[in-house]
Amino acid sequence: MSDPTRDQPLGHAHEADGIEEYDNQLPLWWVGLFVGTVIFGIVYAVDYHFISHRSQVKEYDAEMAAAPKAPEASVAVGAITPDMIAAGKEIFAANCVACHGADMHGGIGPNLTDSTWIHGGTYPEIVHTVTFGVPEKGMITWGPILGPEKIAQVAAFVHSSGGGQ
Amino acid sequence: MDPATSPSSPSPVAGPAITPTSPVNYDDESVKKFIIATLVWGIVGMLVGVWLALELAWWPANLGTPYLSFGRLRPLHTNAVIFAFTGNALFAGIYYSMQRLLKTRMWSDKLSAFHFWGWQAIIVSAAVTLPMGMTEGKEYAELIWPIDLAIAVVWLAFAANFFGTIAIRKVQHLYVAIWFYMSMVITITVLHVVNNLAMPATFTRSYPIYAGMTDALVQWWYGHNAVGFLLTTPILGLMYYFLPKAANKPVYSYRLSIIHFWALVFMYIWAGPHHLLYSALPDWAQTLGMVFSVALIAPSWGGMLNGLLTLRGAWDKLRTDPVLKFFVSGITFYGMSTFEGPMMSIRGVNALSHFTDWTIAHVHAGALGWVGMSIFGMLYYTVPRVWNRPLHSVSMATTHFWLASTGIVLYIVAMWSAGVTQGLMWRALDANGLLQYPNFIDTVTTLNPFYWIRLVGGSMYLVGTILCAWNVFRTATGPSLSSPAGHPAATPHLEA
Repeated sequence: MSDPTRDQPLGHAHEADGIEEYDNQLPLWWVGLFVGTVIFGIVYAVDYHFISHRSQVKEYDAEMAAAPKAPEASVAVGAITPDMIAAGKEIFAANCVACHGADMHGGIGPNLTDSTWIHGGTYPEIVHTVTFGVPEKGMITWGPILGPEKIAQVAAFVHSSGGGQ
Repeated sequence: MDPATSPSSPSPVAGPAITPTSPVNYDDESVKKFIIATLVWGIVGMLVGVWLALELAWWPANLGTPYLSFGRLRPLHTNAVIFAFTGNALFAGIYYSMQRLLKTRMWSDKLSAFHFWGWQAIIVSAAVTLPMGMTEGKEYAELIWPIDLAIAVVWLAFAANFFGTIAIRKVQHLYVAIWFYMSMVITITVLHVVNNLAMPATFTRSYPIYAGMTDALVQWWYGHNAVGFLLTTPILGLMYYFLPKAANKPVYSYRLSIIHFWALVFMYIWAGPHHLLYSALPDWAQTLGMVFSVALIAPSWGGMLNGLLTLRGAWDKLRTDPVLKFFVSGITFYGMSTFEGPMMSIRGVNALSHFTDWTIAHVHAGALGWVGMSIFGMLYYTVPRVWNRPLHSVSMATTHFWLASTGIVLYIVAMWSAGVTQGLMWRALDANGLLQYPNFIDTVTTLNPFYWIRLVGGSMYLVGTILCAWNVFRTATGPSLSSPAGHPAATPHLEA
């Protein structure tokens, strides 16, 4: 506050429509912030590309390696129980009705109640189709999303309530 | 234009004692027209925004018609508030302040009229084509190619008028506000032309000349710098004129204004790739976008500091003067969102925030807070002066201020909460490494309460804008300053 250079107007040359301008020093913390962020940018870029050799592909690989392992997509098939069908009904309602319809008569995806099975209508075949999906036709690969237990349940429901063979 | 009317000295009297009758015959009719257009389009654009907020909270509000569906109304909202509300407000503030800073009437009345009516015609054509589903599909550059051409013509007419006025100016010194306006006029021309280069196929369809990642990079170079040079630098220009005028205080630091101006315009132009982090854009270009964004904090805060420090010794005026209330609020939101933006451009933060409602919170802190509040400050300053009448109601302006401020806080807190929740739900894995929320609808139902809060906040902001329009209407049609019924005390420091 005792700085005699503070609040010295620039004078007539810098008067504009009655607005005057002081020529105060830049706040020191502001200069520090400016220089600091520029240095951060340089250090970050050099480290990222030339010292640590990072990349988004490596970051993806590292995250995938560190993530909890999804159970291996399997098509191990046991016997269908009434409990599985009941649980499968809820899974179907939450995940499948958007394409296959609440009545399983199809829509975006094929009808599941008739006798035509594009990818096979036996219980193991349905488990396989749900697990690995049919990506080229829009059927999602549910294996890593639902896991084998839920897939066994929803396939049991489809097999028993639809036109399973 | 008449040399006989020019002032004998380029800079008349220092300080607040401005000559009561200026010898220059300023074109305030154009300013009035742009002010009216600002308020009309502001209400329209914000109403569409509120309707979209309702559609997100309660989908039947799309009324089952494609013309009101979210995908078509959303670009109408963004175009209306950016180019119609903010655009007209910038033109009003620039026409008002540059004539007075240069002690010169606008160069050409014909260009001023062409600029005004041409811009309104563009807005109307946008309001018709966007709900019909005609779009180029580029964010903030959706308008089809014939309208893009019209924008270029009208914008160049404005540029000619702007630089023509500077060329015939009667004041040697170009005040800092003029530099900021200049950066807008030049940069927006380049951005608009380069990003919209396309090959017409029919009258309403065209194909961009860029493909793939190049197209995306050009688009976000445009998109980010439209924010920089339409919603930031010209608003800073308005702040540099209207804030010291309203506070009647000298600007804190000339050298700070030079340094933060050049730092801002140099660094802004590199930061666009932060919109494309974790995309097919090469890693080095992503790094460039991130580090330039981080280094933008200080240049942005330079403007905030120069604004707030100019108010030293004048803070008591905030209690009574709506102009300063709005500008201080705007500057505060500016400081906040120019810190938030660089943080969101950091790779690790962006991995969480990108594609979530956090982005919506960020842009509305800037748009409602910085841009909107500064525009209202400019309006409450200029309206009594161009109509030469005291503001109809200061208390109504104060009510507007509190409605708008509370509305913004509700809006951005709701969207921050929604955004972080959304980002965390998308990445949540269960013990088996499977997605914990595999269905998108899970996040939608979780966020629904936040969408209702956002609707309340946005509606409060809209009501404030309607109050402002009513206040301006009553001011413009009310008793003039010279009549005995006027209350000159309500608007101190009035000058011609």
